[in-house]
Amino acid sequence: MTQYLARRLAFAVVLVATVSSASFVLARLAPGDYVTGTLGGRVSSEVIARERARLGLDKPLAEQYRDWAAAALRLDFGQSMLYDRPVGDLIPERAANTAILAFAALAMATVIGLPLGIVTGARRGGALAATIRTVSLVLVSMPPLLTSLALVFIAARTGWFPIAGMRSSTAADEDVLFDILRHLVVPALAIALPLAAALERLQAQSMSETIGQPFVLAAAARGLPRGRVVWRGALKAALRPIAAMYGLMIGTLLSGSFAVEVITAWPGLGTLMLQALRARDIYLIAGCAGAGALFLALGTMVSDVALAVVDPRASEPGTRVEAAA
Amino acid sequence: MAANKLASCAAHARNQAILHAKTNSAAAFAHNSDRPSFWPFSQLSTGLSRRFGVLAGCVALFVALAGCRAAPSSTERTGSRPTRGGELLVSVRSEPASFNRHASRDSTTNLVNLLTQARLVRVNQATQVLEPMLAESWTTSADGRRYDVKLREGLSFSDGVPFTAQDVVFSFDAAYDAKNGSVLGDTVTAGGKVLKVEATGEHAVAITFPAPFAPGIRILDSLPILPRHKLEGALQAGTLRKAWGLQTPVAEVVGLGPFVISAYQPGQRLIFARNPRYFEKAPDGTQLPYLDRLIVDVIPDQSAELLRLESAQLDMMTSDISPDAYAPLKRAADAGRVKLLDLGVSRNADGLWMNLKPGAFAGDPRAAWLQRDELRRAISMAVDRQAFADTVFLGAGVPIYGAETPANKVWYWTGTPQTPHDPAAARQLLATIGLTDRDGNGTLEDAAGHPAQFTLITQKGRASLERAATVIREEMKKIGVVVDVVTLDSSQVVQRFLAGRYDAVYYNATKTDLDPGTNQDFWLSSGSAHPWNVEQKTPATEWERQIDELMVRQIASRDEAERKRLYDEVQKIFCEHLPMVFFVAPRVYAASSARVLNVTPSDARPQLLWRPEVVAVAH
Repeated sequence: MTQYLARRLAFAVVLVATVSSASFVLARLAPGDYVTGTLGGRVSSEVIARERARLGLDKPLAEQYRDWAAAALRLDFGQSMLYDRPVGDLIPERAANTAILAFAALAMATVIGLPLGIVTGARRGGALAATIRTVSLVLVSMPPLLTSLALVFIAARTGWFPIAGMRSSTAADEDVLFDILRHLVVPALAIALPLAAALERLQAQSMSETIGQPFVLAAAARGLPRGRVVWRGALKAALRPIAAMYGLMIGTLLSGSFAVEVITAWPGLGTLMLQALRARDIYLIAGCAGAGALFLALGTMVSDVALAVVDPRASEPGTRVEAAA
Repeated sequence: MAANKLASCAAHARNQAILHAKTNSAAAFAHNSDRPSFWPFSQLSTGLSRRFGVLAGCVALFVALAGCRAAPSSTERTGSRPTRGGELLVSVRSEPASFNRHASRDSTTNLVNLLTQARLVRVNQATQVLEPMLAESWTTSADGRRYDVKLREGLSFSDGVPFTAQDVVFSFDAAYDAKNGSVLGDTVTAGGKVLKVEATGEHAVAITFPAPFAPGIRILDSLPILPRHKLEGALQAGTLRKAWGLQTPVAEVVGLGPFVISAYQPGQRLIFARNPRYFEKAPDGTQLPYLDRLIVDVIPDQSAELLRLESAQLDMMTSDISPDAYAPLKRAADAGRVKLLDLGVSRNADGLWMNLKPGAFAGDPRAAWLQRDELRRAISMAVDRQAFADTVFLGAGVPIYGAETPANKVWYWTGTPQTPHDPAAARQLLATIGLTDRDGNGTLEDAAGHPAQFTLITQKGRASLERAATVIREEMKKIGVVVDVVTLDSSQVVQRFLAGRYDAVYYNATKTDLDPGTNQDFWLSSGSAHPWNVEQKTPATEWERQIDELMVRQIASRDEAERKRLYDEVQKIFCEHLPMVFFVAPRVYAASSARVLNVTPSDARPQLLWRPEVVAVAH
């Protein structure tokens, strides 16, 4: 297990380094830069040259990358041009907000999607299963952007929940948790609904296959109650492919939440990345991309470890995770 | 088609009448205004704007549906007379880059500066009159170069430290110090040279211009007077731009403005509280500002901003309202949920310019015609400005033909010739520079058979620019000129035209102020914002030399009538050679919640908040 963990950690480091390096190089290679973007065409060429020199944008790409990479090895990810603050300070405070949103969405999706998947997977027909399946298909085909717009509209129309932001300006300190939870509903649901639908479909498929397995049929033949067969016997086996998907879901939650964060003004990595891209702040772009890759790598690792615990074959070299299912 | 044309003509006439009526009252409420009868739905049926229309429709639908609910009224109305108290909730699209105006030019940093700092003088954005702020009065020397300014006495910064002339001198030093590289340095110069500022008393300063400069101390509207006791160390150390960054404890950010920052929640909001030491009073003696608190929420998306405004979760937006958002806001205004303000025609318009740098097309067969005046005049004639206004601004625009828009009531040349929409004449004009359809394929060619084709660069993501470039492409196609539209990030557009690597650009030409004397960088051939050929060592053309000469005289003259005559002459030369082709100036709208009181709107941003100290709310 230790070797397995070491391998996964090494993979995570390589992934983060590759993604942030690629982002840095691509953002630097694209025409235009932070100086022309922010100063526009109304300042003299001397001012533009002075600003480029101050920010190190006048250096050749190779030199700039070498300096940045060397500093990154010391966990110094550069100074954001836009905020004039270390990227290493900016990312964690926003990543924490994104993590709150992502895990809230994952929890909602799990609570909604898995039980519904078990219900639809364990039943061959019926109006309830058909309704759930139809709603799931609609939701799974809706991008989070559209879901968030719809939910923002409902929130605005009913006044039940705040439309934007993470905190109210008027909330007292003792009400912080409740205030954040209220603000969390719209963005978390926007992400969770398509995810819950996907989980429901996966779980239903897996449950449907497991229900036909000999050990389930044998249990049913021994006269065990159907509920016990489904919820105790079949469920454990049917959860394995879902567990394998969780890591990827955590990772993709980050990219999926970018649009939702912008629409609902959630102060996470998505809105920070948007500002960085608009301003062509290459250090911040690289930092945000690296943080996204870290989310993905950690999510995958947590999922693989969980799977390895459930099924030790998954951690053996040369064994594909899917084989465990 | 004919019906659309008729509707368009009728709408045009109606819009002209409305414009005439409204130019005298920029602050008229838009729910009293009219719109083209086909607006906005006929836009959905035009090929040019279909995809924009669908997108706009989706957003409008959400906003309109959301507006079906009556706005909750959590406050008791106290009538329209402003009183002290209450809080105002406004939105911005992005966080400030800093609390320090010397560090950044972005609009949110500027808003923070406006709320927390004061200037010596203020340009009244509604009347354009120069008003005293920290300067109580001033006298001018006979040659117009020296201003002796008497400062208000007894004022204190928000931390209680008294304000003196040394703070004024320090603020100029902060702008000019090369080691610190303030972004404000260029904005407080005259002809590129710095002003000499000296304290002549505890509460008096003398400001000397390097040469006669007609706009005078009007340019000081952009310079915040900062606390020397807080920032002198940073200035000496060359770290002024790093001072008052977003990580600074907000109590450290002190000023003479109407508000102080009381909290900053990264990525979410800034909360401002009343500055108890603010110096201004209302005419009735009420201590300003009226508001107890002003909350600035960061909302990156306009549709979310509109939804919050309509559902009474927001009082005011500081960003421009796009034409697509007008219809739902108009309905909400009619229902009394929001106030929609028609601020008249914008003082700024986007324009098209060709690359006029000598030698830019060396070796290119198109060199014979790309830089000719006739091409630009043909473009001006080929584009139907009314159709342009209908498509790009959904009817909310006014045709223009020169560098100034009718919004600049003082300096606009009323004799500006109005180029008719005449594609046939445009083709004839192009024939005079050798562009005719030689092979009968509908596209013009030069004498060597090369097609009349050029690339037009514009900014990606700004709907009005993208739509405009598409209209220009379609209109030019009708006269046989192929225009390839390329959209790029704004930084790429700027870099391309500064480097002179382009055929043509369609982009914004924002002016610093309405007084042309403050826009020398645009007019002078040596200027950095002279976009068609930036920073020339000597004027490349005779007409640019003439404009240079006229503008130098215009800037130096103290006779306002003479200045007007000279600037009319400049505009005449500009219209003859059309280095930039302007088509339409958009109308500007602003919206606020129904409880906002005492705003004096301006077409310049922040339209409703340029005097934050007098804004009040019903509470």
